[in-house]
Amino acid sequence: MSTFLQALVNGISTGGMLTLMVLGFSIIWGVMGVINFAHGEFIMLGAYMAWYANKEWDIEPLVSAIPIFFIMFIVGFILQKVLVNRVINRPHLVSLLVMFSVSIVIANAVKLIFDADFRRVQSDIQRGFWEVGGGVTVPRKGTVVLIVALIVLVALQTFLTKSRLGKSIRAAAQNREAAQIVGIDIKWVYAFTFALCIGLTAVAGALTSPIIPIFPFMGAPWTLRAFVITALSGLGSVKGAFGGAMALGLIESLVATYTPGGIGSNMGVIVAFGLLVVTLVTRPQGLFGGLRPIDATKG
Amino acid sequence: MKNLLTRSTLNRVAGVTGAIVVVYLFVLPLRESTTNSTLFTLTLMLTSVALSINWNLTGGFTGYVDFGHAVWFGIGAYVTAILMSEQSSLLPQQWPLVPSIIIGALVAALVANLVGRMTLRLSGPYFSIAMLGFFVFMREVVRVSRPLTNGGVGLTIEPTINRPLWFYVQLVLVLVLIAFSWWLRSTRFGASLIAIREDETGAEMRGINTVRTKVTIFSFSAFSTGVFGGMWAYQNTFVDPDIAFWEIRTIDAIMGTMLGGLGTVIGPVLGMTVLFWLREILWENFLDFHLIVQGFMLGAIVLYLPKGIVGLFADDSPLMQRIRGSKQTSAFDGMSSTLDDINQASEAVNSVEAGESNEDVTI
Repeated sequence: MSTFLQALVNGISTGGMLTLMVLGFSIIWGVMGVINFAHGEFIMLGAYMAWYANKEWDIEPLVSAIPIFFIMFIVGFILQKVLVNRVINRPHLVSLLVMFSVSIVIANAVKLIFDADFRRVQSDIQRGFWEVGGGVTVPRKGTVVLIVALIVLVALQTFLTKSRLGKSIRAAAQNREAAQIVGIDIKWVYAFTFALCIGLTAVAGALTSPIIPIFPFMGAPWTLRAFVITALSGLGSVKGAFGGAMALGLIESLVATYTPGGIGSNMGVIVAFGLLVVTLVTRPQGLFGGLRPIDATKG
Repeated sequence: MKNLLTRSTLNRVAGVTGAIVVVYLFVLPLRESTTNSTLFTLTLMLTSVALSINWNLTGGFTGYVDFGHAVWFGIGAYVTAILMSEQSSLLPQQWPLVPSIIIGALVAALVANLVGRMTLRLSGPYFSIAMLGFFVFMREVVRVSRPLTNGGVGLTIEPTINRPLWFYVQLVLVLVLIAFSWWLRSTRFGASLIAIREDETGAEMRGINTVRTKVTIFSFSAFSTGVFGGMWAYQNTFVDPDIAFWEIRTIDAIMGTMLGGLGTVIGPVLGMTVLFWLREILWENFLDFHLIVQGFMLGAIVLYLPKGIVGLFADDSPLMQRIRGSKQTSAFDGMSSTLDDINQASEAVNSVEAGESNEDVTI
């Protein structure tokens, strides 16, 4: 029983981490129709910035996440203006490949500057466990991430449904032409959305830097997980991202706990991607329904 | 001068160049100065070219962009290695080479047939992602199936390799593949593939069985890539999950095809060859930067050369229009002033059009 509870706790903790990581990817895809293949690289950049701040000036990732958000917001804004804007109306293959080339450049540039060594951030806040009783422990590092994820989730949902800019973003996602006709500055909306999402993604990287190993090529698996969750949850759906992330976190954790022979984490990957293919084939619009009504079986 | 750049001249130049290259490649292993390592490099290049051609069959002709094409290579390589190696505890018998490769390719084709039936119903990015997911899925499945595949440790095959022979085998197979995809374009089946790419619903309404067509070409492309996977496993004498299922193979196939010209017959061959040697040069000169440079190259190709190298020489390309436009003007020299005026006007229109299409390309 306690094994099961522990697996559940770990799953929720992973789910919180994944929620924070997937939001940016899901919203960029939902609003702009661009599949950000460099998503994992922005997580990596956030993690490296947090690691550097921690190493040089002894700053907690929880604190450095705030300046990291603003730095990466600006980076995202510039990247959108210079590059992403050119590929929005082009076929999906074009935006996929352009973002993929961005990911190659970022990962290799970081490797050139910081080597390919594995790094991990030593955080005082995100360290240790709480004993709950019955042999179940709650990891602090995961709980901090989960709390931040919930705050971001509520803030983002409120922003998208209540504020004028948020409503413009949703309008742009649903019908680009109609949004332009009613006077929404689509370029500004796109640039802001991209910048916001890149900022959030970097924050996710910064906060998870005490949990996951940091190295230049860490990005790809996280991009793939973001795909799985977005496919599960529907494009650009904030609630769906939470549901999908929690589902994937729990599945990976339960499979890893109950698979014998030390191949648990590999089995987690197998189940996750098996799930991806099955979901895409059987329910291509996602389980929760997203910002953009898309039928994957039609172009 | 006037006929310098007509279609038939261009085709003739391309044909002669191709013939010279093929003859050179056939003679190369006979020369004393050619080392085995050069031949192996060239064999690897031929493998990449074959993968590009195969990828182009689904990605270029049919328009279904496969982001996990390397999975067929991995399946072909692994089945061959399992059959030939004694380290697989479920199948310790050592099979002969040729049946192993054929069975490997058939397994790849069978799996592609089953997976394609499901995933080829998806469109656009969803198909790409599903195939990428399947690629990662298979790599992990191979890693955990320890009794059959020896897990992450990998399998070793006894080396008895004749490099010149394998070079010739692959060269002939690549030439057959080029001929095949050229022939395919002229068949009804090939036309159905293009029809599916251009307008799938329309193709279906005109009586094309789109599902069967897509699954057939997808399985064939998996079979052909599986053959090359098996041959690679034998020549490499070692497979493990990460090198057999290597995502760079998919990326190369896509990049090479994009560089040469998506959906053309000669594009994947030309693009992959250029890419391969470009990378060798980058590797030698900027060891630390070569991947960064490659990343920038990929972005630049996609943004500024969407129709690839072949597209530069198409009739409607801005480059060709500009060259021919000036040629036409010179041909009309000495005509009446009215004609001159008309010419100037049309030239102006031409250059505006060329400029516009230039902008289309860059934005």
